[in-house]
Amino acid sequence: MRALPATGELCFSAMGTRVELHRFGGGAADALAQAQRAIEMVDDALTIHRPSSTTALNEALRSRQTATITDPILLDALIRIDDARAATLELFDPTIDARHTVGWEALRFDRQAATISCADPIALDFGGFGKGYALDRAVLALQEAGVGCALLSAGESSIAVIGEHPLGGTWSFAIPDPRQPEATLVELELVDEALSISATIGAGSAAPERAAMLRPGAPSPVTAPRTAIVVDRSGAMAEMLSTALIVADDAAALRLHDGARRMRFDLTPAAPTRIFV
Amino acid sequence: MTDKFFDLTRRTFLDRVLMASAGGVMATATPWVAMAAGAETAGAGKVRLGVIGTGDRGRALIQNIAKTRNCMVAALCDTYAPNLAKARQWVAAGTPEFSDHRAMLDTRGLDAVVIATPLHRHAQHTFDAMDAGLHVWCEKAMARTIADCGAMVERARTRGKVLQIGHQRMFHPTYLNALRRVKAGEIGPVTQIRASWHRNNAWRRPVPADSDDRRINWRLYRESSAGLMTELATHQLQVGNWFLDAVPTRVIGSGSICFWKDGREVYDHVALIYEYAGGRKVIYTSLLNNARYGCEEQVQGSKGTIEPELGRIYQEVPHRALALQRMQADVKRGHKRTIPIGGATWFPELPVTTPGESLGWGEYDETMLQFEGFGEAVRKGKALPGLLQQAYYASVASLLGEQAMDKGEAMTWPTSLVTV
Repeated sequence: MRALPATGELCFSAMGTRVELHRFGGGAADALAQAQRAIEMVDDALTIHRPSSTTALNEALRSRQTATITDPILLDALIRIDDARAATLELFDPTIDARHTVGWEALRFDRQAATISCADPIALDFGGFGKGYALDRAVLALQEAGVGCALLSAGESSIAVIGEHPLGGTWSFAIPDPRQPEATLVELELVDEALSISATIGAGSAAPERAAMLRPGAPSPVTAPRTAIVVDRSGAMAEMLSTALIVADDAAALRLHDGARRMRFDLTPAAPTRIFV
Repeated sequence: MTDKFFDLTRRTFLDRVLMASAGGVMATATPWVAMAAGAETAGAGKVRLGVIGTGDRGRALIQNIAKTRNCMVAALCDTYAPNLAKARQWVAAGTPEFSDHRAMLDTRGLDAVVIATPLHRHAQHTFDAMDAGLHVWCEKAMARTIADCGAMVERARTRGKVLQIGHQRMFHPTYLNALRRVKAGEIGPVTQIRASWHRNNAWRRPVPADSDDRRINWRLYRESSAGLMTELATHQLQVGNWFLDAVPTRVIGSGSICFWKDGREVYDHVALIYEYAGGRKVIYTSLLNNARYGCEEQVQGSKGTIEPELGRIYQEVPHRALALQRMQADVKRGHKRTIPIGGATWFPELPVTTPGESLGWGEYDETMLQFEGFGEAVRKGKALPGLLQQAYYASVASLLGEQAMDKGEAMTWPTSLVTV
């Protein structure tokens, strides 16, 4: 009989949600603590709900000043987003502009000089990207601490796994239907991957501080009942792609989909329709 | 309302009260109820009450006394003539009126007095009435000081008279039913009661030209009142003691004149924590510039919550086994299965807004019942059991809370209280 792996877990609040870290066997004794610290550092850098590097940057952008980015985490996050522009068909856009006339393309981002500016008042809200990005950094921290098997969750809508399931084989997850949480929409198998789920309906979608999904350049939120599910090696990329899938029109969604790894569901009252199989 | 209809509704009300308080555990927790609900009709004659204090509260009491089958108002007394004039419509023509309570006591022809005067007068009026050989029903809180509360209890004992304090929740069928369900374990062990009485008004009455502010607005001045603590909190602290079946071990609190800076002397904001044995607590707030949360006691147990003012009972939402926690347990026992994560429907812990169930029996006339109980006690010369102890401890708790706020110190429950 296969020996059961040693286990450990850590639950805490960060990124505006409940974070759970589960490790199985191997690695440094303080690996979970290092992963927690990695997540909290991302939270500290990217939050807009308390003073942070991002709120300081937003102050500068709102007054049309050139901001120097001194926080390496914030700079790295901006580079990741900038690099993913083509992959997301420019549909993931963390900028906020009250007039909805300008977006990321209006930013002058110099990654070498670590500066950013905009001719128009603008601000950044990383939203769900932050959770995926934080999980990426936590995964890295765990791996560097020698952990070869772990599951990380930020609010159960952002998941990352390291290695295979502790009992062997893939990690299997059942994704609920936002309209009937007891019903399963789809089951997914993961190994060394991250998972992101975005939806326009569900218990949490009307909650305070939950931002509506906006299509870049469009003033009104996406109201169609949808959920998008993306599996990717990177949690940050999974988050950007799931957001892009939600706001994409059908033509763009067709270009974004990728078989069993990127999918979108129509959640109108009829039976769930997986739009792109 | 016809007499027949009144009889029917009264009978239904009493049946409900008796049903709620039936059974060994409830009979122990509410020993006064059976005697009050079993009060006999007038028979040999109604109990004759002299009412001292015919202001707003006094007149409300007079109207409730008029509904009883065993009591009648036989005299009125108030130092302010316009109050007497307003009360006249609720009593029989020719009911004697007095401006001096001692004169009323001297006329004889009374069995008991009802005291609805400013708080700082309660003790003296009680002493005078008992010294005149009369039983006393007195508005809550009992007195302005803890010492006077004890002295009232002692005077009743030495004179052999009934002293009953106006805590009508102890006769309220919804409260009785709530307690029955707590005693039955429906909401699990009660570890906390969160009580509030929030209003959004100045709590200040207009002062007529022939009177003065300290007389009309006696609730706002420390000489005559402890403000929110004695005029409102007393009711809810009684509920706290009653439902926790204990008295506090100590209290900490903070009070301030935070909003109505109009020359009043009593706090318009109070926030206190009363600690009970076993780590249990009553958390109390009262304020006068926000009515959103109104008046309520939230009785909180591990299996549910009861809100008696709303008449609702709520079961705790069954805790869904967290998927990832279950995954850990699965791995430990070598079992692998699909992990049902919350997905985008999951959200952190916000207040639960389930509608709950009705506690039932919304209509009530508990103030009438407490007077019928008082009438029965006067007739028998024997107080309704358990009632005065509840009232005494509620008044002590309210005044101890005032001391904790004034001193900015934790106040322990006094060891020098009289035995009830």
